Amino acid sequence: MGGKVTCTLGEVKNRADFIVFWGGNPAECHPRHFTKYSLMPKGKHVPNGRKDRTVVLVDIRETKSVKAADIFLQVRPGKDFEVLTILRALIKDQAVDPRQVAETGLTLEQLTDLVARMKRAKFGVMFFGMGLSMTRGKHMNSAALLTLAAEMNAFTKFVAMPMRGHGNVTGADVVMRWQTGYPFGINFSRGYPRYNPGEFSTVDLLVRGDADAALILGADPGATMPQPAIDHLARIPTIVLDPKVTHTSRLARVHITTAVTGISAPGTGYRMDEVPIPLRPALKSPYPTDEEVIRRIHEAVCAKPDWIHANGQYTTNQV
Amino acid sequence: MSAIVLRLKDRPAVPLEAEVISPDLLAEMPHADIRAQAVYLGKRRLRLDDLFEVEGERSDQVEVHGDLGQVKWLGRGMSRGSLVVHGNAGMHLGAYMRGGRIEVHGSAGDWLGAEMKNGQIRVQGDAGGQVGAAYRGSLSGMRDGTILIGGSAGLEVGMRMRRGTIVIGGRARDFAGLQMKGGTLVLLGGAEIRAGAWMVRGTIISLQPLTLLPTFTYACRYNPDFLRLYSRFLAPLGIELPVAAQQGSYALYSGDASVPGKGEILVWQPV
Amino acid sequence: MIRITGGKVYDPANGINGQVRDICLAGGKVVADVDGGRTIDATGLVIMPGGVDIHTHVAGGSINFARAMTPEDHRRAVAFIRSQSRRAGLGGMAPTTFATGYLYAGMGWTTVNEAAVPILSAKHTHEELRDVPIVDKSCLVLMANNEIVLDLLQAGELERARHVVAWQIWASKAYGVKAVNPGGVAAWKWGQDAKQLSDPIAGYHTLTPGAIIKGLAQIVDELGLPHPLHLHCNNLGAPGNVTTTLESMKALEGHRAHMAHLQYHAYGGDDWSTMRSETVQLAEYFNAHPNLTTDAGAVLFGDTVTITADGPWQHLLYKLTGRKWGNLDVENETGCGIVPYSYRPSNLVNAVQWAAGLELLLLIDDPWRVFLTTDHPNGACFWRYPEIIQLLMRNDFRRECLASITPKARKAIKLPELDREYSLYEIAIITSAGPARALGLKEKGQLGVGADADLVIYHDDPDVLRMFSHPRYVLKAGEIVVEDGDIRATPEGREFLIKPAYDEGIENFLRPLFEDQYTMSFENYPVEVQRIEHPEIRDCMGTE
Repeated sequence: MGGKVTCTLGEVKNRADFIVFWGGNPAECHPRHFTKYSLMPKGKHVPNGRKDRTVVLVDIRETKSVKAADIFLQVRPGKDFEVLTILRALIKDQAVDPRQVAETGLTLEQLTDLVARMKRAKFGVMFFGMGLSMTRGKHMNSAALLTLAAEMNAFTKFVAMPMRGHGNVTGADVVMRWQTGYPFGINFSRGYPRYNPGEFSTVDLLVRGDADAALILGADPGATMPQPAIDHLARIPTIVLDPKVTHTSRLARVHITTAVTGISAPGTGYRMDEVPIPLRPALKSPYPTDEEVIRRIHEAVCAKPDWIHANGQYTTNQV
Repeated sequence: MSAIVLRLKDRPAVPLEAEVISPDLLAEMPHADIRAQAVYLGKRRLRLDDLFEVEGERSDQVEVHGDLGQVKWLGRGMSRGSLVVHGNAGMHLGAYMRGGRIEVHGSAGDWLGAEMKNGQIRVQGDAGGQVGAAYRGSLSGMRDGTILIGGSAGLEVGMRMRRGTIVIGGRARDFAGLQMKGGTLVLLGGAEIRAGAWMVRGTIISLQPLTLLPTFTYACRYNPDFLRLYSRFLAPLGIELPVAAQQGSYALYSGDASVPGKGEILVWQPV
Repeated sequence: MIRITGGKVYDPANGINGQVRDICLAGGKVVADVDGGRTIDATGLVIMPGGVDIHTHVAGGSINFARAMTPEDHRRAVAFIRSQSRRAGLGGMAPTTFATGYLYAGMGWTTVNEAAVPILSAKHTHEELRDVPIVDKSCLVLMANNEIVLDLLQAGELERARHVVAWQIWASKAYGVKAVNPGGVAAWKWGQDAKQLSDPIAGYHTLTPGAIIKGLAQIVDELGLPHPLHLHCNNLGAPGNVTTTLESMKALEGHRAHMAHLQYHAYGGDDWSTMRSETVQLAEYFNAHPNLTTDAGAVLFGDTVTITADGPWQHLLYKLTGRKWGNLDVENETGCGIVPYSYRPSNLVNAVQWAAGLELLLLIDDPWRVFLTTDHPNGACFWRYPEIIQLLMRNDFRRECLASITPKARKAIKLPELDREYSLYEIAIITSAGPARALGLKEKGQLGVGADADLVIYHDDPDVLRMFSHPRYVLKAGEIVVEDGDIRATPEGREFLIKPAYDEGIENFLRPLFEDQYTMSFENYPVEVQRIEHPEIRDCMGTE
């Protein structure tokens, strides 16, 4: 069934001689990635840095990242899943119809060449961005890339990693996992954690209008979510914790200004490879930290009578 | 034995979870107990009669009336009797079902018949996504039974199904038969892209042309014998598959080579 | 203050074997007497010191990876419902942090040792340990594939390596040193493994796994760490690996060492179809060498998720099972692999594994040197320990279980010939007194005056499984935390740390290497002690 085969960024720096960026534009979205981790650094086993690495960029259009790549493969929009699935077949020497391959915008020769290079690599890595994970096919596109990377380990060392961004999204994912078992899309209404992306993920809840209140922390859905979700946020009591005025805070019933984490509030950030980095504030803020505000809200909520009326301390029959 | 009849008073503002509306659970109960059963409106635990008008008792024939589009888990894990919904049904209808029959005179939400083991679900209208599918992370979707959808269906219909039959009357969206391991998926109205993606085994039959992944290989055109038998199984359910050679034939594709899998996709080609 | 009267006390560290004694608790400790306070009438009940798990994986990057990979198991797990005093959580193969504390305490375990922590993500491990309530905690830092250490060992710079190891123990806020598949994980970063103790490791000129084992064992002894080198041998799980295990033990002569999950290293045969248990020769060697302790790493039939820093083994397991596979390589230090797995009695390999774990517990004659573990969650989940206790105490039950395994396995195992049955006294040793002693935690695993007031009170029930699954009371630091299966209180536990002596100047050596090889700044690497909830810094032993 595939899985997820990954590493920390130092492994890329020290070992990766074959690097694929898929559906992302790190030159503009992760400006330090090339110089700090993936392309330029001289690593323990890639002593000549960039010269020892082959870089492939796969995207639907030419971005600024193309200049940094040795090979650019331009996929037709919405064909990433097809290309990844073809690659999965090709690494196993399965026949694929060249005419149908052409519909992806790439030729069979290009893909056969890519496979040969992937297999020749000593340590390959595939980074993928939202151009893959947020386009038609969504989680299945990511699954296709992760599975390809896992399967490549039958031939050589290969890993994959999502290029995550936007604040401490990885940190939220990590903490939710240890506290609830699930990374996101978690529902506590029955008193214990349940998970079902599509049913419980924020954007789906809002689009369907399933929530009658919202507390928003470290995000600006008013700027990024589809209009029906934004409309629902404006309809219901929405509380925003944010250091600045945002699209969401403008439509919220309550905006609590908080200190900026990392600048005037301490904490821990989790890097895209899940390595924790301590955040040390350089300044003082007149505003409370997010943590303090949430703690006080939590204390007030805890003081209310229990609404779950559980029959016992635990249940062996989940819904 | 007359049926238990439940009438939804008002469409709830937030989702209502009512797995208790299942013949197995209500069949032996006196009227007062049925009324007192717990349902969950958002985070609040309420009585069934807070939301429904309740008639009847001690029956494994359950009828529900009203717009239940926000009501989840109807018929969860049921093994006998019948559940008839006059109106729409919410998500997870008949999930984990083991037997009995569900009928919906309306449309149904996502995860209908997810991981069901047996029984029959028929929906007159449309269905959401993940019909008969495996829940996230599970190895297998439906293991047996029959799901009949009159209208269209959403994403990932029959994902990882192992046995049983799903028939979609209208069009299915992307990834119909995703990672199928067995069973039969009949697409009377065809499907959007990526049907049969990563399938290991099992059969997809489409009466409309399909856009297949490049990892499926055309094998031949024929009128397979098993389809004659299969159409005899479907006929009493009101579903007709063309099988006569004079009407046309099926193009057989095998794949998905990326797995590599031995699934079959049959696409009807009328004369 | 609490006085517990009338209970039959099993306190092996103090030689008490079922005698009726009063036990008095005050200020979180066992005291000679109390005046006033609550009295618990334990007449007819059995009292033992709280359980100590010497080898488990409950917190950090790898178990958290396993959680992400197994939503299907979370859905069928026991779910803890939130209340005003208790957090929500899920049990199952890879329980959530809060549930981990509730489940351990729920069966009477009060101290756990997390056995695998990379320095790079140690902050993560400690953040999770903070969220494991009730139990006291410690953790072991992964060292046998740390490239800075390996380079020093290859260069023969043992003295400097010792300072580096000591610095790294304190930087990661660990309690001891764990060596996993020495050199093998480093080789895995090139898709290879290190199977022979005397072969140079991929990527190194002369360094062998044997040299790493010897070097680290010597360093740990020289530093005087209370817990010896904690070794997960090379060649885990492979048929015929007993020779590697015996060689590793021989390499350790003259040093203390703890052999982790020995069951996984006790196989003969040439391939999967001829695999057999070699526990007899292993136990024979082990019995004659008192420098060693071990834990069983027992297997129980059923579903679990395997997680280990042994990346190459996990890739093999993925290929064998065709199920999901997770892998995470940690720069310059270690890696981990995750594969969900089902142990089946009908499978020869699994049946041999099941038998081998029990055989080791039955064949090693000194219970003070072999401890109850399942290498949670690898062999089985920790909350199934009562099932193993039942297998150890009841030969007739063992025979019943033997009847259900594949007949092919009968010739490959020794278990049918073993009639030994554990006594309650011996159970108290392998679950508590022994592991506490091996960890060097003097106030744990015993109920003498001055000991920590961590204890468990069981019904004296002929049904061993029921007895150990449902304690009557569990007390942690003198507080009743579990009563009749209900969690009454969820106090925060402590964490034990070691600060071994090292030359502060070692940072001048480490800094440039670090900046060259790592991707974070050197200042951000160590875990600040403020991040530890209730840290308790322990002393090293006197070194000679």
